Amino acid sequence: MSRRNFLRTSAVVTTGLAALAASLKPLLEMNDFPTMERFLQKYYKEMTPEDMAKVIKRIEAEVEKQYGIRPHVRDLKPMDGVEFVYCLNLTRCIGCRKCVHACVAENNQSRNPEIQYIRVLKMPDGSLDVYKAEHNYNPEMVPEKGFFYMPVQCQQCKNPPCVKVCPVHATWQEADGITVIDYDWCIGCRYCEAACPYWARRFNFTKPSIPKERLNPDMAYLGNRPRRQGVMEKCHFCIQRTRAGRYPACLEVCPAGARKFGNILDPNSEVSYILKNKRVFIQLKEELGTSPRFFYYFDV
Amino acid sequence: MNPQTRTTLTLTGLIAVFLALTVLFLLKQPGRPVQLPPIPLVDTNFLSTATVRQSYADLVRAGEDLSDFDCYACHEKGKPPPLRYDTNQNLIVPKEHSDIVMGHGSHGRNNNCFNCHNETNLELLQTRDGRQVKFSDSPLLCGSCHGPTYRDWEAGAHGRISGYWDHSLGVAERKACVNCHNPHSPHFPSRQPAPGPHPLRPMTASVEPEPNH
Repeated sequence: MSRRNFLRTSAVVTTGLAALAASLKPLLEMNDFPTMERFLQKYYKEMTPEDMAKVIKRIEAEVEKQYGIRPHVRDLKPMDGVEFVYCLNLTRCIGCRKCVHACVAENNQSRNPEIQYIRVLKMPDGSLDVYKAEHNYNPEMVPEKGFFYMPVQCQQCKNPPCVKVCPVHATWQEADGITVIDYDWCIGCRYCEAACPYWARRFNFTKPSIPKERLNPDMAYLGNRPRRQGVMEKCHFCIQRTRAGRYPACLEVCPAGARKFGNILDPNSEVSYILKNKRVFIQLKEELGTSPRFFYYFDV
Repeated sequence: MNPQTRTTLTLTGLIAVFLALTVLFLLKQPGRPVQLPPIPLVDTNFLSTATVRQSYADLVRAGEDLSDFDCYACHEKGKPPPLRYDTNQNLIVPKEHSDIVMGHGSHGRNNNCFNCHNETNLELLQTRDGRQVKFSDSPLLCGSCHGPTYRDWEAGAHGRISGYWDHSLGVAERKACVNCHNPHSPHFPSRQPAPGPHPLRPMTASVEPEPNH
């Protein structure tokens, strides 16, 4: 090789490597590299209780490191003889959006960019065209005359399209009817988001931003523990509350008492009474055969 | 052009492209997070689970000052207070009770205080068929007229509830009628809505309807 050829070739290689290095520089700014422990973590359904205890310890340590608050993470299992159903009284809903923000606070959703599980649709009385519904209403006072409001969130379908499309089984339906996501197993392909006819699933395009003082330390593995960038999330009926016997956050905050929740297998529960006695009008988009566990009803 | 010159030109071109890429990557890195416009944190008032109103029973439980509710500080015992009406048969609310707006029922005929209050003992309520009801049991009085709603409320299908759906793990606390409805003008009050969504991309208010599928 001539001296000139050598110099020419090495100049090309050097500039090429410089360009490559410059293009990879954002990797240096990445601070969310998975630890070996997280990388080798097992699939949720294959974990033994000891595995889960270790994972919970790791999550608690991670959250404490990031937010300076020691959380209480639990892995709550479905209760025997329980199937959850949600009922929402469209006559009572006043569209105040308190449920939206109570949900964000309870479930540690990103504040900027905003991730919200509940959308409140405003529609003219006598219509029910969700495609023409208004999200961004902002009057002085609600309710507005001539309109009604319809909050939409994950419908916890009996026949969930989102579960069918997941290529890695990171989302599945539990025995109590809640469709859950293992955030550590999700690969972020967003197929489930595309499959959901209710626009109920949300993607973490960025690292979620949650102010320390607004972090809810009562967490569940399949529920409201902080998510990473690049994973899906959605309403899980406040698994950290409901599997401990409590009502979901959106229900407790509703000033109008429009939201009802309970065990459909218990004949004395509120939801059983509603489905038996009230004018239960829709399962949203029932023609799709998804069979939601979320019912809308009316007072006469 | 001989092969020697062509090689030189290609290599020089490559060097130039690589240098340009290096500068480009260092200056404006694709994949770097975009600065998002700030979103103010939501007012914590919107997260409050408090009811619209406090009932007399709540005040008793909280040990609040109840001197405002001492009827016989002003009224005389055993003597029913007189009611006065204007020419349209609307009740004239005395100035001592000026905070009361008479608006129960759209027909305007529910204008007699003693439809619900006991005229001989103002510390009690009474139903139209004469049963006496304590203030702390006021849903019984409401239910004496609003039967279907009372039935729904008892079953948990109307009204607010909090606590535990699983009664083996805790108590479900059911709120009373007067926690949400002012008995003198029971229409549920309107309120300010919490802030709407801030989408990543600005969206138009209504989305074009999709074709039927």
